Amino acid sequence: MHKGADIVLQCLRAEGVELVFGYPGGAIMPLYDALEGSGIRHILTRHEQGAVFAAEGYARVTGEVGVAMATSGPGATNLVTGIADAKMDSVPLVCITGQVRSALIGSDAFQETDVFGVTLSLTKWSRLVRTIDEIPEAIAEGFYWARSGRPGPVVIDIPTDMLKAKKEFSGPVKFTPHARPADAKADGGFTDTIVALLQQAAKPVALVGAGAKLSGAIPELRRLLDHLNVPTFATVHGLGAVPPQAPYYLGMVGMHGTRAANMALHETDLLMVFGARLDDRVTGDPTRFAPHAKIVHFEIDPAQLDRVRPCDLPVIGNLADTVPAFQAELRRHSVPDFSAWRAVACGAERAELDPRGLAQPTIRFLDELFSRLPQDSVVLADVGQHQMWAAQRYRSSSPRGFITSGGLGAMGFALPAAVGVQLAKPDKCVLCVSGDGGFQMNIQELATVRRLGLPVKMVIIDNKYLGMVRQWQQLFYQRNYAETDLSDNPDFVEIAKAYKIHSFRLNEDAMREFPVAKETGDEIDRFLRSPEPELLVFDCAPEANVFPMVPAGAALSEMLLEEEPTQ
Amino acid sequence: MQTFHIRYRNTQGTLMRILNAASRRALDLPLVQAEPAEYDHQVTLALEVNQKQVGQLYREWYAIADVIKVSSGTGHATAWTAPHPPAGVAMEESRTAARA
Repeated sequence: MHKGADIVLQCLRAEGVELVFGYPGGAIMPLYDALEGSGIRHILTRHEQGAVFAAEGYARVTGEVGVAMATSGPGATNLVTGIADAKMDSVPLVCITGQVRSALIGSDAFQETDVFGVTLSLTKWSRLVRTIDEIPEAIAEGFYWARSGRPGPVVIDIPTDMLKAKKEFSGPVKFTPHARPADAKADGGFTDTIVALLQQAAKPVALVGAGAKLSGAIPELRRLLDHLNVPTFATVHGLGAVPPQAPYYLGMVGMHGTRAANMALHETDLLMVFGARLDDRVTGDPTRFAPHAKIVHFEIDPAQLDRVRPCDLPVIGNLADTVPAFQAELRRHSVPDFSAWRAVACGAERAELDPRGLAQPTIRFLDELFSRLPQDSVVLADVGQHQMWAAQRYRSSSPRGFITSGGLGAMGFALPAAVGVQLAKPDKCVLCVSGDGGFQMNIQELATVRRLGLPVKMVIIDNKYLGMVRQWQQLFYQRNYAETDLSDNPDFVEIAKAYKIHSFRLNEDAMREFPVAKETGDEIDRFLRSPEPELLVFDCAPEANVFPMVPAGAALSEMLLEEEPTQ
Repeated sequence: MQTFHIRYRNTQGTLMRILNAASRRALDLPLVQAEPAEYDHQVTLALEVNQKQVGQLYREWYAIADVIKVSSGTGHATAWTAPHPPAGVAMEESRTAARA
């Protein structure tokens, strides 16, 4: 006879789970009681939100399913932000929550929350387990849906009496999905249409999103892009999919994208989208997004089509299938010569940020930091100005080398996610860049970093403001800095020391000379190569802004390149 | 007002997910009728929707794990003008529209 808790753990092992992140509590105690000897390592975070973000970090860097555990009630509701984040960013995630015992469900028992109901609209699939017999099937099906198609979050809520109950157990089961009439799949016939569209086009471009890395089709996509040789750019989650040194690559597109990428996107007459949702941060005003373009949308999830702007040709399917099919067709034709268009779109006159922006000490600091990173490092960015600066400046060729909360924009993501990344990639340098606002949202995870001795390198860009909100207040709310002043921040260096983490401060004045002083460079090198966790607090000018910027509701062509008078 | 019929397996939460696809778009639900249908279940919804929402709803319903089939009532066939409905219309129509 096996307890329900043992069955859960055996089923997790059968799904390949080695690490779970969580925080114990009443209803899930039987599962914790069964952990020892299960073959599964549990990582104790100091908050359930830390656990779910850590599981996400693990999933995002490995492509495997991340697993988070929490108890009923507040434990479960503390997972919700991470679940929403995983939904937005297509992260395979399974959350296992304890629930009050079956007889109490619906009675507003102590620590009872309808987590199934709360997370219904945020999950791909969920199950409130009713009998111990359902456990193997629920876990198998949950993992199937978390991984399949466009990956996403799953919640499995298990009453505590089901975890304690016993039954004969013959082993984990496999889930086979029911056959159903699916959406029209790309049948290969799309390829001649795209070739025809290419031959009609004068200014084609390619946009690469997260789907490129999720599909595992990066080599195929890179070959195709080399063959096409048209101006190409990426969403924030597509960064790393295209080698930044590719001559046709224009960097990030969208609200804080490069001028060259946004201009090319505005001017194109054929937009080929590879695995991107085209959300509002990429499109700007949808009615004026790529106004002259026909859109070919390669997408695995039909639900993502036409959300913002209708496409002209959907290519539904995994990029691992559709991209090689496209390239095979392309080989049978001559690709038109787009060199004149490429010369304009990728020309020097459109290159990069304004010189004033480049001279910003914070950008200089990030450039110094990134240029000294060991190869194959993983950079995590929290949410805010530093996130966009990092996305603009980090030029990685590694598809999973830049990790951030892009769709949900959840402040507090980066530090716990870095825990998951470092555990998954113990030999890699993991650099976590946060702002002073976001760092405090999950600052308790410094204890997790210290407890595990993870050599995570943490950087706080400290401008003593909620910087991105303040920037909007400056530009669009007549400098009414309502509740964004964080000048009473604690001393992060001292806080880190209290967690027994080495920490130090660097003032932006150190970045005013170029090249930086040898001592400063040496200190950054030492920081990045330390075998211990370390925190570097970079004091940044309070009113430094991120440019280019497309104001909300404006077209991409209306990007601001520098500060303009407030409206 | 357009009528939609969604065939689904009556597993936990499936009906709620179907309804949520409408309610998250702030669509009123003046008619909801769910009932067994052969081996499965079917829910009929009447919704005041525009063409863009029809496409989004179709796709979102099909993305739900236990949804089997989505169809719509009177007027749908003529009302559909987008070049790429998620199911039921040949891809060739989509290609022809794209080339046009």
